[in-house]
Amino acid sequence: MNRLMRILGVLVVIFIAAPLVIVVPMSFSDARSLQFPPPGYWLGYYYAFFNDWGWLRPTWNSIIIAAATMVLTMILVVPATFALVRYRFYGKSVADLMMMMPLAVPHIVMAVGYYSFLGDLRLVHTHFGVILAHTCLAVPIAFLVLSANLKGFDRTLERAAQSLGASPVRTFMHVTLPILRPGIMISALFAFIQSFDETVVAIFISGRNAETLPRKMFDSIRQEADPVIAVISTLLFAVVILALVAPAGWKSIRKRLRSKTPPAAILGSQ
Amino acid sequence: MNSYLEIKNITKRFGDFTALHEVSLAVEKGEFVTFLGPSGSGKTTTLMIIAGFEKATSGDVLVQGQSLSGLAPYQRNIGIVFQNYALFPHKTAADNVYFPLQMRGYGRGEGLEKAAEMLDLVGLKGFGDRYPKELSGGQQQRVALARALVFEPSLLLLDEPLGALDKNLREQMQIEIKRIQRRLGVTTVFVTHDQSEAMSMSDRIVVFEQGRIQQAASPLDVYHRPKTRFVAGFVGESNLIPARITDAAAGKADSPVLGNCEVKANGAADGQDVTLLIRPEHIRLSREPVDGRKNARMQVDTIVNYGDNALVMGRVGDLNMRARVLGRDVIILEEGDECCISWLPESVFVIEQ
Ligand SMILES: Nc1ncnc2c1ncn2[C@@H]1O[C@H](COP(=O)(O)OP(=O)(O)O)[C@@H](O)[C@H]1O
Ligand SMILES: [Mg+2]
Repeated sequence: MNRLMRILGVLVVIFIAAPLVIVVPMSFSDARSLQFPPPGYWLGYYYAFFNDWGWLRPTWNSIIIAAATMVLTMILVVPATFALVRYRFYGKSVADLMMMMPLAVPHIVMAVGYYSFLGDLRLVHTHFGVILAHTCLAVPIAFLVLSANLKGFDRTLERAAQSLGASPVRTFMHVTLPILRPGIMISALFAFIQSFDETVVAIFISGRNAETLPRKMFDSIRQEADPVIAVISTLLFAVVILALVAPAGWKSIRKRLRSKTPPAAILGSQ
Repeated sequence: MNSYLEIKNITKRFGDFTALHEVSLAVEKGEFVTFLGPSGSGKTTTLMIIAGFEKATSGDVLVQGQSLSGLAPYQRNIGIVFQNYALFPHKTAADNVYFPLQMRGYGRGEGLEKAAEMLDLVGLKGFGDRYPKELSGGQQQRVALARALVFEPSLLLLDEPLGALDKNLREQMQIEIKRIQRRLGVTTVFVTHDQSEAMSMSDRIVVFEQGRIQQAASPLDVYHRPKTRFVAGFVGESNLIPARITDAAAGKADSPVLGNCEVKANGAADGQDVTLLIRPEHIRLSREPVDGRKNARMQVDTIVNYGDNALVMGRVGDLNMRARVLGRDVIILEEGDECCISWLPESVFVIEQ
């Protein structure tokens, strides 16, 4: 049984890793179109990516839109999560349902809806329009992540802080927020990724002006199978790895700093 | 003359359910008072009302004659140790202890110095830079205690603080908490459902049951002169025997099972139904009746030998009785035997309710 599980685990890892094994080498390929295994290796397509405004502009658009989506999502989700997790109020279950709705509706349906709705507001083909649409899609995901964190938060910590003389506001700033910070950051990261990754709605409403990277990749692969796509995939993969490793690295650096300079209190007591 | 802490006629309702009925209590400065009672008897609710986290339906709490009712929890200057310690996981031990000082406007240097002194007092010198998860349960407990005391609170409240510790550590912490409390002279309310903990630590025990105070008295009074059957049963082991006072002046009672008994009537009137309390350690075992003592024959059902002492459980008529005797005294006995139990008249305490 145990061995079976292990084999199954290895298979799953292979299955997940397989695209990477193919895509990463292809990005260094010198073939004229996507081809595996590559006939030879060079950095030409990296050079091409970083010198072609046709690629850099959508990349930049995507970053701006994802960052703005993240900020807007968090402005909405943080207070909403506190309200929905901690308080009972009239219409709470409806509010809960509305939060999760975008997860249940197919993106293509949402996309058609946004197209006509944002069209009326003259926001189709604008950054702002895409940001609004992406925020709607990011809210349920950010909410799910954050509410799981908040539900696990031990409220006696807040009581303790208050008994120690902290007003509700200071309790929030000194205790609640710092303890929830990792959860908020992960929630924000998910919102960012949700927007950066989103293709269907972007195809419908981003147009030429606000063209996002996934949309450009989709157009490109349909027309010419440009190997620059493999370059972008590899770069994205590298960024994700970095985002995952950075917190752990940061933690160990901090730990090392801490052990080198013990707090004054300890020096004082010795 | 006002007491230091006064709880006046507190009633607390949750919906239709009344968790506290007209609870009143006065605590003197520097006193160590323990709330003892089974789970759900209202101890935590009372504590939370004192701390300001619950609002009493009616009644008031005063410290040094001043009502606390208008004050939010953070304005009350009351130190609390929670059962799960509630240490801030993102702060070191020193920063946890510094927190209440920080909230009171101390600078970091001076505050951390005071925090270090307090950690020293609770026996955690040199542990200031550890995070809570790097400390054992007992050490976390000490940090929580230091944090609750460092700002010189007007009251210290502890809600079953030792519940999560194993037995040895618990006994060690009982002594430790008592030592620190004496040293600082802080007025303390300690909540527990463990009667031996209450006996060993308190100046006074307040016994709760179903939202009412059954008795508030010194540990020895609660043990030897319980006011109600509930107190007698909850604090220590007990034999509770139904009886009726036949002659209060002459100290005579009649029990259906034991017959005539000599008692001190304790204010009960002739003809009143009462309960006789005999603590198991006051009962002696023998083969034959002993002169000068009240004797009864007991059918032995179970003998539990703890080495130094033994618990002998059996029946006198249809009444369950238990005796706690020295370990060597049960060697003569086997389960199923019949033996003689006896006690002195002054070992019988009359409970009116
Ligand atoms: N917030 C609440 N809502 C409803 N009932 C409560 C609440 N808090 C406590 N109770 C009830 O009040 C009673 C006393 O509770 P508590 O003071 O916690 O008891 P103890 O600390 O002695 O175990 C219990 O029956 C409990 O169920
Ligand atoms: Mg309790």
